[in-house]
Amino acid sequence: MSLARSRPRHGEQVIKAILLVAALVSVATTIGIVVSLLEPTIRFFGQISAVEFFTSTQWGPLFEPPHYGVLPLVSATLITTGIAIVVAVPLGLGAAVYLSEYARPRVRKICKPVLEVLAGIPTVVFGFFALSFVTPLLRGILPFEIEIFNALCAGLVVGFMIIPIVASLSEDAMTAVPSGLREGSYALGASRMITSLRVVLPAAFSGIVAAVILAISRGAGETMIVYIAGGGQPNFTLDLGKAMQTMAAFIAQAGSGDVPIGTVDYNTIFAVGSLLFVMTFAMNYVSARLVRKYREVYE
Amino acid sequence: MPNVTVRGPVAPHTAEALDPVFTVAGLSVFYGEYEAVREVDLTIGNREITAMIGPSGCGKSTVLRCFNRMNDLIPGARAAGKIMYHGEDLYGAHVDPIEVRRRIGMVFQKPNPFPKSIYDNIAYGPRVNGMKGKMDDLVEEALTQAALWDEVKDKLKQNALSLSGGQQQRLCIARAIAVKPEVILMDEPCSALDPIATTKIEDLMQELSRDYTIVIVTHNMQQAARVSNRTAFFTADVDERGERHGRLVEFDETSRIFTNPTDKRTEDYITGRFG
Amino acid sequence: MAVLSTPRSAVQLASKGQPLREHLFRIALIASLAIAFVFLLALLSYVLIEGWPRLDSRLWENMPSVRNPDIAGAQSAITGTLWVISITALLTLPTGIAAAIYLEEYADRDRWWNRVIELNIQNLAAIPSIVYGILGLGIIARTFGLGFSVITASITLGLLVLPIVIIASREAIRAVPPSIREGSLALGATQWQTISRQVLPASIPGIATGSILALSRAIGEAAPLLMLGAVSFIRFNPDGVFASYTVLPIQIFNWISQSREGFHILASAAIVILLVILLLMNSAAIWLRNRYQKRW
Repeated sequence: MSLARSRPRHGEQVIKAILLVAALVSVATTIGIVVSLLEPTIRFFGQISAVEFFTSTQWGPLFEPPHYGVLPLVSATLITTGIAIVVAVPLGLGAAVYLSEYARPRVRKICKPVLEVLAGIPTVVFGFFALSFVTPLLRGILPFEIEIFNALCAGLVVGFMIIPIVASLSEDAMTAVPSGLREGSYALGASRMITSLRVVLPAAFSGIVAAVILAISRGAGETMIVYIAGGGQPNFTLDLGKAMQTMAAFIAQAGSGDVPIGTVDYNTIFAVGSLLFVMTFAMNYVSARLVRKYREVYE
Repeated sequence: MPNVTVRGPVAPHTAEALDPVFTVAGLSVFYGEYEAVREVDLTIGNREITAMIGPSGCGKSTVLRCFNRMNDLIPGARAAGKIMYHGEDLYGAHVDPIEVRRRIGMVFQKPNPFPKSIYDNIAYGPRVNGMKGKMDDLVEEALTQAALWDEVKDKLKQNALSLSGGQQQRLCIARAIAVKPEVILMDEPCSALDPIATTKIEDLMQELSRDYTIVIVTHNMQQAARVSNRTAFFTADVDERGERHGRLVEFDETSRIFTNPTDKRTEDYITGRFG
Repeated sequence: MAVLSTPRSAVQLASKGQPLREHLFRIALIASLAIAFVFLLALLSYVLIEGWPRLDSRLWENMPSVRNPDIAGAQSAITGTLWVISITALLTLPTGIAAAIYLEEYADRDRWWNRVIELNIQNLAAIPSIVYGILGLGIIARTFGLGFSVITASITLGLLVLPIVIIASREAIRAVPPSIREGSLALGATQWQTISRQVLPASIPGIATGSILALSRAIGEAAPLLMLGAVSFIRFNPDGVFASYTVLPIQIFNWISQSREGFHILASAAIVILLVILLLMNSAAIWLRNRYQKRW
């Protein structure tokens, strides 16, 4: 009648070890990404000075003579992402306030899956739509000239792509605001608009900022739309009607050619990749910190 | 005194059970730094029903969960002192908690049938324990013992969640019986049930006490008085830092506790002056 | 008290009519949602109308071509997508579900390594997909020597969607009430028996929903595969995991890059095929989620 283990159970430990290994695959992925970026990036800076990389305004590593100033790529990334944010933040936030504060449950039940469909459209499809429908449309209605490949259209369509991110994460943050706060506001005679703007939005503010930052990071890393609709020329300009090349688009363009390993051209891809990785990583970090903050307040 | 019928003693009067299944000595339970239960001594008699009563937060469920080492599942939980099970230290280094739980079954506060068929609910325990024998017979036997067979014999393939609350709880008792334990621990088994379902479970407990040792935690004094042979009364002390620590106040035959308690606090509680 | 107990006249309590700005605000909110929906509708109708003339059997019976849009098809891209996604599913679903089980059922959150794993998964979910292309190119294709093959693409896409599988599976596992675990453990079941026979079966619908969404993300992904050799015109179906391949999104990209109008029509038709596959998967996920939502 002993209470000792009646039969050995080594299996349990083996299974736990296997599960742990599966969880460690994600850590290995991060290490793999850092390693794959780091080594060619270090070699790149052995060949090209960091000063030129960060200050020169000309980019053309595949041209003769080559130029390695990353600023045109960075500015193109900032410009398209900026346009995207101008589109996505008001529309996404408006949709979120509507879904969280105004819409009846039935309406919400229909609208949310539609937003999910928008979120599920492959970016290559957005890119095609941008190039063959939105750009001709813009050329027809805008009073100024834009090129066939241009930053404006690319940015606009990236904006529509990230609306579901802004909308659904902001709505989560607003739903997390305790209903007591709303009721308190209504009890004082405040209208729905005042309650939404003065009570719910401020209370959900850090969550909304986190959503916007995550959307910016997604926009900055977006590849196919800007590659297809933005064109492949690294112009250092503020003219939205001109073609531009973002960091992600450059990586896609250079990486899809057959670049010989070990050359400066090859290493360039990784140097730009490192910069993009660091930028998005920093944004994600800030966003995650903010999300944790609003969770602490209300949970 | 409240007007309750009290179950008669099974043995000549003695506070301690004569044929103990569990002997608890100086049991303290900690959650991290916090001492939830302080120095409990009691014995659980073989094929008796022992009730643990007291106000909420007095540590009675915590003590119950030590008997089948369910507290092990709570991170930071730790037991000091001794619980002997048939003379074997339940918290000894060689003891396998899974083996313990196979011998000492448990029924929970809220009925928690698995989201599977009635049949599979009963068969689950025997299967994971690798029990031999015809499964259909095992299932029928367990359901019969739990007084549920007649109600469910035609719908064994139905999902257990389709049963009523009282039936679900009897299914959980049947599920515990199916692995042929020696002891059944019940943690407020009727608190989620209506009075009729409660009566059925109480009758069932009387029936089962012929073959099983039963320990029941309840906050319903009448229930303790109706079903148990012995009763342990717990309460919570508040220390100088404002922390509550569960304590055993009095342990005796149920008839004594309810008719002639020695401790003032027990008397106050059962007469409704406190708690 | 007399003043307070005097009922206000009905006239005073009657609505004065919502101020205009309340109405405008509401309209603006509805408009934001409507604009997004109109955009989606325009996109869907455009590709359908544009691709309609080529939406026929040539699309899946013929091989890609850059010379003649009239006879070009996407068969090798469709079979390539099937190959890549099947291998991706085989690799990433067991890994992701296993990782989720570890994090929910075994990991002690007080241990630093478990917190690192958790933080890391959140970060991975937000890394741009093109960066995974760099990982695929630098490590999987080159260092591991797997080259530009189906398996390289599958591993890369698998790692890309792994965080989605893990996060969704964790939520599904967390939704199983603790009382089910207690009930099983109290019967003398081991932890793994409890997980494999109670927790997993109860969380399958949620895990399946998340897995479908993760795979549909992988099906539509093009950017990392641009760097992994999928761009070349492939005129044969893959015959194994080490074969060269192309996939639908890349084939679409190739046709978009052609200047002739016929190829744009072809791209639209292929997009319709891709979207139908994704919509079917999405609907399956939503159906699963609604069908099995919260049984406790």
